[in-house]
Order: sequence, then C-alpha cells, then structure tokens
Amino acid sequence: MTQELSMEVNGIRRTVEVAGDEVLLDTLRDRLYLTGTKRGCDEGECGACTVIVDGAPVHSCIFPALAAEGAEVRTVEGLAGSAGRLNPLQRAFVDQAAVQCGFCTPGFLMTLTALLETNSSASDCEVDDAIAGNICRCTGYTAIRAAVRSLVREGGA
Amino acid sequence: MQFLAPDTVEEALRLLSDRGDLRVLAGGTDVMIQRMTGQLPRSESLLYIGGLADLRGVSRSNGMIRIGALTTHRDLRCDRTIVTHLPSFAEAAATVGGWQTQAVGTIGGNLCNASPAADLAPPILVADATMVVSAADAPMRIPADRFFVDRRRTALPAGQILLEIEVPAPPEDTWESYLKVGRRGAMEVALVGLAARFSMVGNRITTARLAVCSVAPTPRRLRHAEEALTGSTLDEEAAAEAARRATEEVDPIDDQRATATYRRMLVGRLIRKAARLARQSLEIR
Amino acid sequence: MTAVGMGTSRSDADAKVRGLAVYGVDYREAGMLHARLLRSPVPAGRIIRLDVTEARSSPGVHAVITAADAPEHRNGLVLLDTPFFADDMVLYEGEPIAMVVADTATQAQSAIETIELEIEELEPVSNVAEALAPGARLLHPDLDSYEILPGTAPWPKGGNCGGVMSSDPGDVDEAFEEADVIVEDVYTVPRQYQAYLEPKSATASYDGWRWTLNVSHQFPYKARSRVAQSLGVAESRIRVVGHHIGGGFGARLDLGIEHYAAIGASLTGRTVQLLNDREEDLLSCMSRENATIRVRSGLTNQGRIVAREFECLMDSGAYAGDTPYLTSIVLLMAGSVYRVGPTRVTAKSVYTNTAPSGAFRGVCGTYLCFALERHTDRLAQAIGMDRREFRMRNLFEPGDSMLNGQTLEDADILREAFDRVEDAAPWDKAGKGPLRGVGSAAVIWLTNPLAGSATLGIQEDGSLGVSTAATENGSGAVTMGLRQIAAAEFGLDADQVYVTSPDTDTQAYDAGSQGSRTTHVVGMAIEAAARQMKPRLFNIASGLLAVPPDDLELGGGRVSVRADPSRAVSLAEVARTALGAGGPLSATGTYSVPLPKWDPDSAEGLLFPVFPVPTYHVHQAEVEVDPDDGSVRVTRYVVAQEVGRMINPDGVYGQIQGGVAQGMGYALWEGLESHRGRYTRRTLESYGLPLAVDIPDVEVIILEHPCEAGPFGAKGVAEPPIVPVAAAIANAVSDATGADVTSLPIDPEELLAAIDRLQEG
Repeated sequence: MTQELSMEVNGIRRTVEVAGDEVLLDTLRDRLYLTGTKRGCDEGECGACTVIVDGAPVHSCIFPALAAEGAEVRTVEGLAGSAGRLNPLQRAFVDQAAVQCGFCTPGFLMTLTALLETNSSASDCEVDDAIAGNICRCTGYTAIRAAVRSLVREGGA
Repeated sequence: MQFLAPDTVEEALRLLSDRGDLRVLAGGTDVMIQRMTGQLPRSESLLYIGGLADLRGVSRSNGMIRIGALTTHRDLRCDRTIVTHLPSFAEAAATVGGWQTQAVGTIGGNLCNASPAADLAPPILVADATMVVSAADAPMRIPADRFFVDRRRTALPAGQILLEIEVPAPPEDTWESYLKVGRRGAMEVALVGLAARFSMVGNRITTARLAVCSVAPTPRRLRHAEEALTGSTLDEEAAAEAARRATEEVDPIDDQRATATYRRMLVGRLIRKAARLARQSLEIR
Repeated sequence: MTAVGMGTSRSDADAKVRGLAVYGVDYREAGMLHARLLRSPVPAGRIIRLDVTEARSSPGVHAVITAADAPEHRNGLVLLDTPFFADDMVLYEGEPIAMVVADTATQAQSAIETIELEIEELEPVSNVAEALAPGARLLHPDLDSYEILPGTAPWPKGGNCGGVMSSDPGDVDEAFEEADVIVEDVYTVPRQYQAYLEPKSATASYDGWRWTLNVSHQFPYKARSRVAQSLGVAESRIRVVGHHIGGGFGARLDLGIEHYAAIGASLTGRTVQLLNDREEDLLSCMSRENATIRVRSGLTNQGRIVAREFECLMDSGAYAGDTPYLTSIVLLMAGSVYRVGPTRVTAKSVYTNTAPSGAFRGVCGTYLCFALERHTDRLAQAIGMDRREFRMRNLFEPGDSMLNGQTLEDADILREAFDRVEDAAPWDKAGKGPLRGVGSAAVIWLTNPLAGSATLGIQEDGSLGVSTAATENGSGAVTMGLRQIAAAEFGLDADQVYVTSPDTDTQAYDAGSQGSRTTHVVGMAIEAAARQMKPRLFNIASGLLAVPPDDLELGGGRVSVRADPSRAVSLAEVARTALGAGGPLSATGTYSVPLPKWDPDSAEGLLFPVFPVPTYHVHQAEVEVDPDDGSVRVTRYVVAQEVGRMINPDGVYGQIQGGVAQGMGYALWEGLESHRGRYTRRTLESYGLPLAVDIPDVEVIILEHPCEAGPFGAKGVAEPPIVPVAAAIANAVSDATGADVTSLPIDPEELLAAIDRLQEG
C-alpha cells in the first residue's frame, strides 16, 4: 500500500506515491532518480545520505519520507547556481582538494550548507562539531576543514 | 502498514485509542533503525507526531521550566533558558548523535525509547523533573525517578503520549553538568553518562544529585553516593567515598562497547571529576 | 614541464560535488532485475537441507540459484579453495548459500526469507590458536588437492595453514649467545574493516556468450579473471566496465560479489544488480586480518641487536585469499629499518571459521610495524638507552640488506627523514608533561610493480586523451597525477588532458589501484607511449612547417620552431593532418617495474619476494592521555615521507592525511573482534570510524629523491602513510602512561590501570 507524498525538492513541487514506512533516501534515489544522495549505512551513522529538510540537515536513510510532507527538501543536485555554476562551497571543495572518492561529499556539502547558512564565521571546532554526523574515510578531514576555512576567511558562503 | 500524521494532539490520542497497532514516532531516529533491524515489527503502522508544534519548545514561569516532549536536541542545546538554568540538559543533548540526529531527535523520544544509555535521562533524574503524560481526563504526572521501569520499558500507559517535562528551576548557587564517556569524540552511545547537580549554601553542599546511564538496565540515581557528598565541601575525601559507593550501586554489563569493570571505573572517576569541576566553579574553599 | 609538481584540480571533482558522478551503486539499466544473497547465519556447520521451492514461486522471482546451479570447481586469488556457493559445509557467518533474482530487491528479500535452510551447527574453529591446536578440526580436509594459480610456484601448506613462509639462516641460536639481554614480546591485533562508504555492488548482463559487468572495482582486470575463473570460462568472455569508486582501500582488489551478479544474468538472460547492505558488507568483507606476532631479540649492553626470532600467525579466515602472499612481507619487514643480526622468521596463514580476510592499505605492514617498533622501544628501555638514540645507532646505512637479500643503496634517506622530523619536533622537547608522551616509528615500503598500460591520443581539437584501465579509487592518481604526467610530456596544461574510465574490452591490462602503483607504473606507461608518438607528431609538424623535426619543440598546445617560436602549428592541426597521413595520433605504452635482486634461497614459500622502488618513512606522534577515562588524544603528528618526486602536492598531502587518519582509527578505535566465529561489532555505528573531532591536522614533510626509472622521478606514495601510525601512537601512549601497549586498539581501561600504578608508584 502506498500513500501520496507532496514536497518541494530543490525548488520543484514533487508528488509521488511512497510506501508508508519508506525512508526519504529511497524516495529520492529510486523514485525521483536523485542519486547524488548516497546510501552508506542505513543507520544514521555515516552521513552520506544527508539532505536538508526545512533548513535542518537530516539523515535521509532513517527519515520517514512521509514526514517530509509539505516540506522543502534540498539535495546536492540543487546546490549549483542557475547557470550550472558551482556554488562557493562546491568550488571550495574542488579547490581545496576536499574530494577524494567523493562518496561522502554530497552529505558533507549538505551539512556544511546548513552550517554556513546559520553561522557564516564557523570556527574549526564548530565545523568539527557540525560534521560529527558525517564520516569521510579518505581525507582525514583536513582538506574539508580547509575548504570551510577558505569560505569563512572570505567572509561567508 | 500505514503512516499516520495527525495535526493535533487530540487527533493523535484518538487514533491511539482507536487502533492497537500503532507505533508512535517523533524524529524517528531510533524507531526507524529498530524497524530496519527487525527489533520492531515492520507490520506496525506508524503514528508520526513529529509535526505537533504544540509539544515543541521551552517555557519558563513560576519557577518552573517546561520542556515540550517534541523539543529537539538541537533546540535544547541552543535554548537560552536551558543553557542558563539546566546546562546538563543542553550538554546531554549535544552528545546525542550528530547534528542530523539532534535536528529531528526529541527529548521525548529519547526518554520514551528508554534505552539504558538514554543521554537525557540522567539530567531529568537529577533535576527532579516530572513527566506530564496524556490521560483520559486530565494529564497525569509521573516523577522522573519512577518513569524508567526496565530496559526499553517506561511507566507511560499504553495509548498515551508524553506531553512535556516539568523541571523546577534550580536554586541559586547550583552547579550541574552531564559528563559522558564514549570511545570517540562524538556520535557515541554512552559507555557511562553521569549527570551531577550540586547546590550550595555557605560553603557546604546542601543537595547533591547524581544519576547515571549505561550502567544498569535503566538510568538511575546514585543515592548512597549522593549522601556521601551532602554536607561536604566536595573535597577529595568525600568525592572518593561517593565514588566508592557509586561503584557498588551500579550494575553494569560487559558488551561489545566496554567491559563492566571499565564502566565501574568510569562511574567513580566521573563522580570525582564532577566534584572537582563543581568545586572550582562554585569557588568552594 | 610546468604541469608536474603543481596543484591541479582533479577532473572528477566537478561531477562529484554536483552529485552527478555515477558509482557502482548508482548504475542502472532499464528493466534490470535485483538480487539478494542468502548468507550463512552460522560460522560453522553442515547444510542438512536447503529447500528453495517456495522461493521459486514467490512473487516477482525470476531465479533462485544455489550450489546445484553453479560451477562445482573452487576458485581463489592464489589458492583455489573457495566454492561458488557453500554446498556441503559452511565455513563462516555470511558465506553465500543461495541467491534470489527478482523484479525488486524487496521481492528478492521476501523470497530469501521463505528458503528452508537447516544447518547442523559445528563448534567453530574460532581463532588461530584453536586452528593450530593438535587435533583441531580441519576446515579444508582436501587442502592438498586444491589447485593453485597457474604460474605460481608451489609453497608449503597443510593442516589448517593455507601458507607457510619460513627463513632460517642457520646461525641464529649462536648469535643469541652473544647477547647481554634478551627481550621477548607478543603482540595481538584485531581485524580492520576498510569501511569504504560505498557498499559493494555489481551489475551484470549476458548476451548469450559474453558477460558485461558494471562495477566499482579497484582492479577491473582482476575482476575479469576472477569472474572468469569462478564461472569456468575464458577471461575474454568477460567485460568489466569501471565506474566511480566510493572508496576501496584494498577491499575491491579481489573478487567481491561480481560472480553472483554474473551467474544471475546468464541464468535469467536479464541485467541483474546485486547490492550489499552495510551489515552484510561488514560481515563478509575481506578485512585486514587479525594476527599474533611474537618477536624475540638479543642485544648487547652497548645497544646492538645481535639476533632475532620473529613469528607471525595471520588469521586468513575461512579461505586463504591473499594471505599466502602476505606471509612474505613478514620476512621483508622483520629485519629492515634497523640492523638486527641473524634472524629466524616464520609466518603462517591460518584457516578459521571467520570471514576471509584480505587486503587493506598497508596490509600486514601496519601490525608488523606496530610489533617491531613497540619491540624497538622495549629493547632501548631494556638497556636504559634513549629510544631515539637506540634507533639512530641501529639504523640502516646505504648498502644494508633486508632479510631477503635485497640491498638498499639509498637507505640513508631514513636518517634524513629522522633528521627532518627532529628539526620540526625535537625529540627531547616533545611529549613533556603529566600523562603526555612521544613515540616514533619508521618503515621501508614498496611501490607495487605490476604491469600497466595507457593509450594516448591527440584529439582533433588539440586536447590529449589518456585511456587506461587504471582506476581512480579516490587518491587522484588518475584524475590528477596521470593527467599531469601526460600534460607535461606534451607541454600542455593539465586541463587539456582528459582520462577515460576503465573498460577491459578497450584498454590493455592494468593491475589496478594497489600498492601506490598507479602514478609510478602507469606514469611510466604514459612516458613510453609519448616516446612512441612524438616522432610522428614532429614529422607531421615538420611537413606543415617545412622545418626539420629536430628544430621543433612542443609547448602551449603547439609545435613551434625552436629558433623562431612565432612559426608554429597547433596540436589540433597536427592531429587533423595525421588523419590523412597514416591515421590518428595514437600510441599505447606499457610498463612493469623491474624487480630488484634478491636471494631466492633466503626463505621458503616466498611468493612476494621483494620491495620494488622502496620508499622511506618516519612518523612521530605526541599524545595526551585523559586521567578520567583513559582516552588518548593525539596532540601532534609529524610525517616525513620520501616520495621520489611529488607530482601533485594536493594528492600527496591528501594521501598522507587520509592514511594517517585510518592509522589513528586502527590505533585507537577500530577493530572487528570475534567471539566464537561471530563479529561482536556488526554495524558501522558500533565499529567506530574516526570523526573530524578525533583527527588532528597532520604536519607533513616531503623528501624528494627522484627515482631514475619513475615518471618525472615519482615513486609510490599513497599506501604507506597508514603503516607506521599505530606503532608511533602506541609508543607515545606507552611513554605517557608506562603501559606496555601490546594490543590494538589501545584499550583505555588498561591505560587507567597503568595510570593508577603510576600514581601509586
């Protein structure tokens, strides 16, 4: 049995039929083909599935899709600007070599987007705290911190 | 199964009384994982109350701080009233998972889930909180120390939900904190979590409150240890005695996260650390 | 030449930050089916009954596949000991027994749950000690009859040992008699899970003769040969197409679940996708093996090591995997870095009823270094000598040899590395204060020598295409390093060079992203291709410019007259002209690293005999231990690493930072312990990967000693930064607390006990 879910995804109103206990990650990946959001653990540990729901980062792998009814959902695919230009955070990830295998990158970008929108002068400590729910196995986090630092120094994202 | 998302508390309670197969979820950060791992049956329908705005938020009046059951961990760690008057709540909330969990996970969910490791449980125990629970007529009130019945079992009556947590504002010259040990610096299930609260008159501790999680089937107060500190100056000797008593009061187990021995060691050391920090902070000589 | 040694963005970063990069788990085909595996719920037992009747008629099911439908022969990386599906016996929890292919993954899972499986459980052989005990149940009673990989020399094995490597120079006991002091230590380490964030997957299709596999694999040609081997068909009937890889760290070098997708495709005639969920991925992954290491050294009161015995028991799990190779590394490390005198070495790969172990960055080097460098600290302490002083006295000099007889003419780089660390963080001032400590560790590591290839093509728009089956596992070796090497060869900017993704149908053999080899080996292949192509390129340009080829030079996307650079022709024009003058400008280069000399009589069972293109590494850690909970905080971490020549600083620093973080995880939090054959930590959450809050920024010192036979002098970089980390941290923790750290991850409970002893004493 499915139920109707209506939400705004990256600025576009989407209405889909979902299973009652479907998680938002499955809706995004399998029904809306937004595969930029990644599945890493199915238990809200690794953060690769992070999307922003009404301004807050959530682990979409354990977030009930139907709890997003009427919500504004943002995914990595919605970050780039209108002409397809990378936004400053994406640009900083590229320039500071914060991307290696890249599987965690969408999740980090979404958490850090939420951070910089609420705190454009985040310190290293605040960054580390904000991304505690995002795991990167490749970089050792240094380059990710540097990417955020480069934006903070420039006066915010 | 169905996903039901009532708009009001009344509707939620009506659905609960009409149907016996509903699992209440708020942020879903525990319930969804328990369903996926088979700890909860997937046939259960879900009653999603996370959207009930009336049950979210912190207010203060007449010496009482009221925390809506759906107040998120993120709300708690950022709320000025909580940070000022009930810092152990804010500190505990800040250790529950990462931001993504704190953004949707709620104090009510954390308490009703009744994990032996529930981080918000020790703070409500030391704060003499009262759990305000829905009931057929008027809301029912359950003292915090009678709320946790057993591992994953609370005194919440079937078909009812937790509405809010009432906490008396602490007296002047009170210090409280939540000290948690995990393996990593964040995202940890507590190996031991200790909430400590000390109120002082003159140079003496008049009220000492200690509560722990992860060292027994339910979070619990450490009353013998508290007695060792009451009337003291939180000196080394009193703290050592409290630590000694505490290790006898707890009943930890070995699991994949830590041994019972280590947990016992931690309880004592955290009590001594709390006494040390409080002594400095309260400027006890 | 400007492109080498400078930072350049990786060519896959744009797609990755947009969420548009397609990984193995993102790959889809219209109408594809979905598979799920039935895995053994127990670590050891005999299958009494397997009834799939109900599953076959479950909704949406296309096929239910068991051992009865699969090839009967065994497969393996070097020892062919692994059945396709468990048939009679199950040897580990998580071993595949059957697979269901259905329209949806949910239907496949529902059908799996209807399968009636009855297993007579056996007491598992749960650890190496049990496996080697007299009368132990044999996991592989037919071990002697198993085939080995063609072309491999047979090696000693037997009982519950899939491989034994041993070396005895004959004069060890006499040498021990010279010793004033003898120190013996035993170290134990658990498994480490690679914990790549993208769980394993495979998508396969079949056209009646050939299979096509769409995968995230570090070594597509190995996936090809292993799928072919497991199906019992010729390798050329398998095509492997590589997609973005969500981390590998060694776990995607051998066969994963590709052969299951392949058999699903050929039995249904449809495209079949198989995805691991995280729990089955963790339970079945070929993690770094757990091991026990015993080391005994004799030394003089003056601090000279005169004799050594070294024994390593590696738990290969239920099937041998790569461990018959890894036993060789024990010989290569037991007597390197420091002079040790005559040394007897034994290493055994031992079967147990646990998941097969396998390759993880640094393989057994991480724990061998931990054991050796902890032991080195203990030797210094045994004669009351400063630990750094002791190291300096015994350090290798140029011309010293490892126990395999391989001579290291450039071993003085080790001393340079120690000196550079000393300049940055002087030993006598480091780690001072209550519950603070300092530790160091050094290692010599290899560059994997296996073959690679690259095809270059100057395009009609003047850009340069590099086509290679080398894989971009995230390190940047392909999307930065190889692009830069190719660009430098042709005087282009790196952004004028693009690289393709791997496809075994169109690119020649490459041995995959392992052992830091990609930049070095494939870089050399690119240079070889460039050497082939350039004469023709200059000849065509010579015709266009009417100037002899020797008077021309390449640069800025043009071929110009050296004496008069204003006379030039663009590479685009040269490429277009070439089409009518013999065909496109394309050339393929190949390379494999010549092996250094070694003494074949130095050991028995030496399948991996040398460290080609060795590099030198010194790490120094400073730590602080919390007296309230025993937790360890790394307060400073310095790495001095020799890289030959740095092609891309971002790439090199990124590999060092990332490798050190994985090493810190190994030292302090990670570990798959098992109890009676079952892992006790079974989720990513309980496993405990390091977080940003746990990992400090690392100070990196790069030493450059260009390698004559290396692209622009580059040696391997990416693998070794993980190797000395646990050793350096353990030594620092021991210095801080007095605890004799003999196991990993470092246990805060033991540290609290040690702190209590310190305070009482």
